[in-house]
Amino acid sequence: MGSRFKQHRISGGIGGDDRFWEALEDGELRLCRCGSCGAWQWPAHFRCGRCGSWEHDWPLVEPVGTVYSWTRTHMAFPRTTARAESVPYVVLLVEVDGTDGARLHGVLEGPADALAIGARVRGTIHPPADESLGYPSLRWALETAEVSR
Amino acid sequence: MTGLRGAAAVVGVGLTPHHRRSTGGPALRLCLEAIVAAAEDAGIHPGDIDGFVSYGAERSEGQKMMPALGTKELRFAGLAWSHGGGIPGALNVAASAIATGQAEVVVVYRSLSEYDGRRLQLDVAQDDTAAQFLVNGLDAPVQLCALGTMRLLEGEGVPASTLRAMAQASYHHAQRNPAAVGNGTVLSDAEYARSRWISEPYRLFDCSRENDGAAAVVLVSAERARDYPDAAYLLSAPLGAAAGWGPLEGNQNPLWSAGFGAVAARLWAESGYRPEDVDVAQIYENTTGMGVSALIDHGFCSLEDAAELITFDNLIAPHGRLPINTAGGNLAEGFIHGMGLVVETVRQLRGTSVNQVPDARLSLMTGGPGDAVVSSALLGTRDTL
Repeated sequence: MGSRFKQHRISGGIGGDDRFWEALEDGELRLCRCGSCGAWQWPAHFRCGRCGSWEHDWPLVEPVGTVYSWTRTHMAFPRTTARAESVPYVVLLVEVDGTDGARLHGVLEGPADALAIGARVRGTIHPPADESLGYPSLRWALETAEVSR
Repeated sequence: MTGLRGAAAVVGVGLTPHHRRSTGGPALRLCLEAIVAAAEDAGIHPGDIDGFVSYGAERSEGQKMMPALGTKELRFAGLAWSHGGGIPGALNVAASAIATGQAEVVVVYRSLSEYDGRRLQLDVAQDDTAAQFLVNGLDAPVQLCALGTMRLLEGEGVPASTLRAMAQASYHHAQRNPAAVGNGTVLSDAEYARSRWISEPYRLFDCSRENDGAAAVVLVSAERARDYPDAAYLLSAPLGAAAGWGPLEGNQNPLWSAGFGAVAARLWAESGYRPEDVDVAQIYENTTGMGVSALIDHGFCSLEDAAELITFDNLIAPHGRLPINTAGGNLAEGFIHGMGLVVETVRQLRGTSVNQVPDARLSLMTGGPGDAVVSSALLGTRDTL
């Protein structure tokens, strides 16, 4: 089970998503559902605010979805200097299919010609790297017309 | 209405110069300069300040300043959550302390300096940036705001001209403010269009400055404020977030918003005023686009007619429909984590702004937009009570 990311622990935010990163290191995309009422919970948290359960399920999710928003960043910032040679790069915010609208970020790889809100994307999982600060990462690619669905 | 409406008023303001970052000296010294200036402006001995309230990751705590201020007794201290979203909420915390008799003279302030602090991107973001952002090349607030504003423009159809209008209004106002860092920078359409991209849809001129400095305002009870003909009364300053908002890593709804929906509804209900009553507004703009969203959230316009209101002519003093950021704002006056906007909110009610709106009686300040919790404040002259 993956856990290399824990050596580079980023402590910001809610931080209930260790299982997400472990799964990603194992090459799987898993998102959080309440273990009792089944509500999707993203970002993952420690307790379900709807039914009060502290139990979670982490079902496998297919890394496909729709572009909800995007930005093309043209400079490296203090904590993204490992991407200095990649600028400009595009980061997508993607609504993942079948998750009641959970959104995940990820860098866009491949052609950006068809980049637009609403475009369909498919994700691939990448192992921990310097540019992703020692964490595994999900990158998105725009689905082209010839890809049949 | 809450029992706080009109219970406290700002009677003193202090603002240091906007130093270039890392040249301003120690933050604690800057903080003392601003607080002493605010106390002197109010005619109150600095040692009589008994309450200290700030927001974000403020490190110049009241207890650190007591020996230098001559503080007789520190009776109240607090920090409003969170980041720049908490600025007007800090005024509310101060008013609460005053109205409940816990403190009599409360200073609300913020100090920042890269001389002995860290890059503002870290000091302001409090090292609380989630892995979901950092892993994917998102670090600075400007990048996170960019995702919200892209949704506003491309997803909701608000024209990008609104961003330019926000920037140009701020730089226009800075030309009459000798203390503004943007003084001397004339932002023409061409200059704006030529400026480099930072994180699309934001160009350089869409982004706030980074400065070393401090700003402070002194509040007292409404009763004590009767001695001050130019007191700025706090009519309402709610802080909060509705369900569906918060630190949700891009999952906030609606993402195009700056998060003020519920707070703005309380602001208007508690103050008894409406958007159309506001004479002048200081709109915290870490980026232009978030300022546009804040205006929509507060009901000054809708997604559909945003481009109609948010034009250069409408946003400038003295006679625009809604003059904003009349000292230059975070973009062009300078950035002390938004605290300079509180000072300008008060100046407008005193009639001492460099871009004065004639007979301004109701002066609005909206806090850090898009933050996990946000707050807004409506201040008014005595006759608005």
